[in-house]
Amino acid sequence: MEAGVQPSPYEPRRRRPTRPSGLERFANGFVDPVRNILVEAGQIAAFGFRAIIELPGVLRYSAEMLRQVALLITGSALVLWAMQFTFGLTCGNESVYVLRGYGASSYAGVFSALCPIREATPFMFAYMVGAKIGCGYVAEIGSMRINEEIDAMESLGLNPMRYLIGTRLLANILVSLPIFVVGLVLFYVGEVFVILFQIGEISRGAWESVHWAFTDGPSIIFSYLKTLVMWIAIVIASMYYGYTARGGPVGVGEATARSMVVALMLTMVLNEGFTFFFWGVDPKLPVGG
Amino acid sequence: MATATGTNAGATVERGQLPGGLTRPPAPPKGLPAPLGWIEQLTGMTLLTLQTMRAAVSPPYNWGGEFIEQCWLVTKRAFIPLMFCTLVFSYGAPGVTGGSILATLATTDRLGAFAVMASVRELATWINGMVIAGVAGTAICADLGARKVRDELDALAVLGTDLIKTLIVPRFFALGLMTVVFNYWNTAISLVGQLIANMTVWQESAAGYLSTFSSNFTIAEVAFNTLKVLTFGFIIAVVCCYKGMNAKGGAAGVGRAVNQAVVVSFCAVYVYNYLLNSLLLGAFPETSTLR
Repeated sequence: MEAGVQPSPYEPRRRRPTRPSGLERFANGFVDPVRNILVEAGQIAAFGFRAIIELPGVLRYSAEMLRQVALLITGSALVLWAMQFTFGLTCGNESVYVLRGYGASSYAGVFSALCPIREATPFMFAYMVGAKIGCGYVAEIGSMRINEEIDAMESLGLNPMRYLIGTRLLANILVSLPIFVVGLVLFYVGEVFVILFQIGEISRGAWESVHWAFTDGPSIIFSYLKTLVMWIAIVIASMYYGYTARGGPVGVGEATARSMVVALMLTMVLNEGFTFFFWGVDPKLPVGG
Repeated sequence: MATATGTNAGATVERGQLPGGLTRPPAPPKGLPAPLGWIEQLTGMTLLTLQTMRAAVSPPYNWGGEFIEQCWLVTKRAFIPLMFCTLVFSYGAPGVTGGSILATLATTDRLGAFAVMASVRELATWINGMVIAGVAGTAICADLGARKVRDELDALAVLGTDLIKTLIVPRFFALGLMTVVFNYWNTAISLVGQLIANMTVWQESAAGYLSTFSSNFTIAEVAFNTLKVLTFGFIIAVVCCYKGMNAKGGAAGVGRAVNQAVVVSFCAVYVYNYLLNSLLLGAFPETSTLR
């Protein structure tokens, strides 16, 4: 660079902040939301990996973890099961009426077998986990953050990622299988109630033979895996929003509302992604040759 | 009975007041036992609904500006999540999984008829209800709850503002209206999602999809669809406003109120959905035949 071009050292370079041009602002309007979403997703992912790395250290706090398991079973399981039963009622209703429309009433079991395992159970679990467990964690951990309890914990030498986040995560993983199994059973109970007792259009034998012929073990395992991944993702996202809450009671409320949006989005994307991943477009049904 | 209500206040220490003049932090709020608490809340929500309706029809009608603002807020918050959720879900659940049921029966060309059931009757309505509850309802509940715990609502009441008229009525009608408006948009989006699945996954023609859809789409479906989502909107509004206005106990209380509001709204949406669909399918048998 030439010497003459350089500004004198005594004269600070004054550069007035330039206003972005109209085109730049137009472009930023599209780019900024995408960038914000990506940044947030990255932060949630970093938080989630950190929580998973801390999991081995959680065993030290197994008493706290068992307390969380107990809270989940007493507080949230009943709501999840009630919603499973309700969705079973809806699914049974539609299975009879739709298959009647196609002139295949006796095949109502196809719908009632595919509906819970492939879509409805994981979907309903994810929604209700987001609403009941996830929002509850945001409220709980967020108010701890606001009341500076988490900072106090850190200053006492207690790792909050382990004591608060890790214990809850492990508790959710442990509790998911029993809740899933009972939920699936209640879903079937709802379907049986509607198909065989409320509408009662097809015989018990016809429904049972078709329903159980179309229900296979691997699909139930896939369904559980789908539920588990969505469950963990939603719980991690909500705990992230609780852990980073700020701004008093309003902040906690806003974080709760935000976590709900993220839970809804995660539910949808993961649900459909796993449907393709596990079952794809091949029906894998025992019909024909 | 006369002895039980005797006044011996001089002998007892006021609650929260230690003998040395120190104050103890207030005890956490303790509600009624569970069944009574449920009845209390249900009664409170019913009362709030009736008060809202009475305030809506009595002059002065000064809640128009707030109503429009709330409509805009609901639109701003719910539009993109709703569109995204519906498109993805209708592509996956009725499009791919529902399509595999139809592929079993070798009638994937009738996916349009399936869409009437899947979108208009079920999916569009409850995804709408859940997203509005999860996005707009939580925001309303958090807003009202934060105002409640900071005593702003009490201050407004002291200043002579009618809280029901200025706060609840506009939110009630904004959620009711926007849920219905979004529902039509949402139904259209979910039809597009299934159309994509129909064309890309099952290799069927769009014309066949549209013709089977339009020949099965009846006015009874639309009427029940509208009635259902209108009620969803009102239920969500009342639940969220009630929970927000009755939040107590600081930051944790606001979070708890939002949590409970979401859970109650979701449960109400699903239970009501089942009941109204049973009514529709029983009362209008032509909705369950395929043309």
